[in-house]
Amino acid sequence: MRTISHTLPWVIAVVLVLVAPHVFGSGFSISLLCRMAIAAVFALSFNMLMGQGGMMDFGHAVYLGLGGFLAMHVMRAADAGWWIPTPALPIVGAFGGVVAAGLGGLVVSRSTRTAFAMITMGLAEAIVALVLMLPRLFGGEEGINADRSGGPPIFGFDFGSPLEAYYVIAFWALAAAGLMFLFTRTPLGRLSNAVRDNAERVGFLGYNPGRVRYFVYMFSGLFAGLAGGLQAINDEIITSANIGSNAAGAVLLMTFIGGVGTFAGPVVGAVVVTLMQMALGTVTEAWQLYNGLIFIVMVLWAPGGISGIILAHAPLVRSGQARRLVPSYLTVLPGFVAALLGTIGLSENAYRLQSIRGGSPPGGSIFGIPSDPQTMTPWLVSLALTAVGLWLVARTAPRARAAWLEIAGGTQA
Amino acid sequence: MSAAPALLLDGVVKNFGLVHVLRDVNITVAAGERHAIIGPNGAGKSTLFHMITGRFPVSGGRISLHGRDITDMSSYDIYRLGVARSFQVTSLFNRLSVFENLRVGAMRNKGAGHAWWRLLDGYGPLRERAEEMLEMLGLTARRNVPAGLLAYADQRALEIGLAIVGGATTILLDEPTAGMSRHETERAVALIRRVSEGRTLVIVEHDMGVVFDLADRISVLDNGRVIASGTPADVRGDPAVRSAYLGAAAEVLT
Repeated sequence: MRTISHTLPWVIAVVLVLVAPHVFGSGFSISLLCRMAIAAVFALSFNMLMGQGGMMDFGHAVYLGLGGFLAMHVMRAADAGWWIPTPALPIVGAFGGVVAAGLGGLVVSRSTRTAFAMITMGLAEAIVALVLMLPRLFGGEEGINADRSGGPPIFGFDFGSPLEAYYVIAFWALAAAGLMFLFTRTPLGRLSNAVRDNAERVGFLGYNPGRVRYFVYMFSGLFAGLAGGLQAINDEIITSANIGSNAAGAVLLMTFIGGVGTFAGPVVGAVVVTLMQMALGTVTEAWQLYNGLIFIVMVLWAPGGISGIILAHAPLVRSGQARRLVPSYLTVLPGFVAALLGTIGLSENAYRLQSIRGGSPPGGSIFGIPSDPQTMTPWLVSLALTAVGLWLVARTAPRARAAWLEIAGGTQA
Repeated sequence: MSAAPALLLDGVVKNFGLVHVLRDVNITVAAGERHAIIGPNGAGKSTLFHMITGRFPVSGGRISLHGRDITDMSSYDIYRLGVARSFQVTSLFNRLSVFENLRVGAMRNKGAGHAWWRLLDGYGPLRERAEEMLEMLGLTARRNVPAGLLAYADQRALEIGLAIVGGATTILLDEPTAGMSRHETERAVALIRRVSEGRTLVIVEHDMGVVFDLADRISVLDNGRVIASGTPADVRGDPAVRSAYLGAAAEVLT
């Protein structure tokens, strides 16, 4: 029973990964799938620190970036004739990541909590500055690029086509996820949980908590570097932007939205946030704003992330009691939708106004409804929707919460 | 080879800035002895435990374990020499289950180290030890409950369990029965008696019933000094002890 419940999600994951590019076959979807897979590995490596080890790394992109740069250099060497097949590049990235984290860990692993977070941030800033100062190694602002199809062909594949690259990335993403899952069940993995919960007590059980943090940091850097190798294959270019605080912030966002408390949470977050970035990015300029708003809403009202919400409701769905929750949840919906539409109206109008001032033709529309930000009506309607929506949510949410507590309280200990 | 004492505190001093918590503490604990440390609140009992287990550096004096100087060692090195402790304020791994708490507690001595190449479930003796401990603590039914969600008495039991699960030869328990009911205290004392068989036990305890029931020897700490040390009978009759314990506690001593 237990082995089935452990292997089933993996079987489903493998099938999804194999089938996905044939269901969503467009160039855009395959590129989206590759980004999701890379983000998932990166977010899982980040959660080895944040969720499982209690370490908040504000500079985690450093290890993805450095792994990626190393893989990129090796890819260039392959273009120049060295016998290095493209599918092996993630191993190079992982090597770069683990070496970098082995050095970085010496600096950060003595500290805990806030001090740890601050030091990782400072270290990352220093490394980004260093990367820009060494243009021969890191290509300066432009970064460095190479051709992934320039390596030796394996069984006739040169991995130049998006689909071939997808399968390389998907294979490594699954392997990395599997290894990271196994890591959570090793003595070191369990120790990292213990250090997260109570580092001092670990010291009185014969372990040096700083040493545990150091080892875990190295493993996390290894998988981040592997993600960097995957990114090198996917993008065929790595720049200093892959190393900096934007990339580090993005992985934090993904991991948190997906949920730090479960193993699969970061994967869910990576998929959802990547989808939002790429899909929302094509329809609205304001996607980053929405990303930020979702993050705030999640931190405030669903600190367990998406997987936390699922986990809280799964036992209720199984016992059939979830049906009793539907009416009280539905009462929150109108207010939520109104507030959401109002917020979208406000942000889209604001962005539209900016571009009109920047020289775009006046007028505009949201969801096909004409909306000219240079008139009062769209603003008043949006503001009213937001205000009324928030008021309704504030009125209805406590009751929905009470209903959940009542029903969930009966099934949980 | 002359049998060095299991634990020897020689003129241990601890200052926090200008505050003198331990002034000159000399205690000898023989191997296999059950030794209780008593004294009024603020006498420095918990600080003394912190000194022995390397939580804070000492300001002066030496501490040795079976003749080996452990004064400046780290807590984990001292643990590896066979000294385990519990805490007065419950200190568990709150998000880990009761079973995982005990497994982490036994890991070091069951040879799991920092291994990342083997699964935890592959360590049979480790699982057996954790399960045996669950049984002894009466927590088998609570095996999968996160430690942070346990009832208070169960958390106190697990606190003791963490100190003893690794099989240390010297066990330091800091007020193990604090906040327990009469019945729970009796169970805890029976457990402590059982697990300290053939080991060295140092226990800080406020419950005089427990102290006189369990201890072979007692040291009385007052104002950062040992004012009496000896068998329960010696300590009971000591005039200095009586004056340190004014009021209700003095009744218990008679």
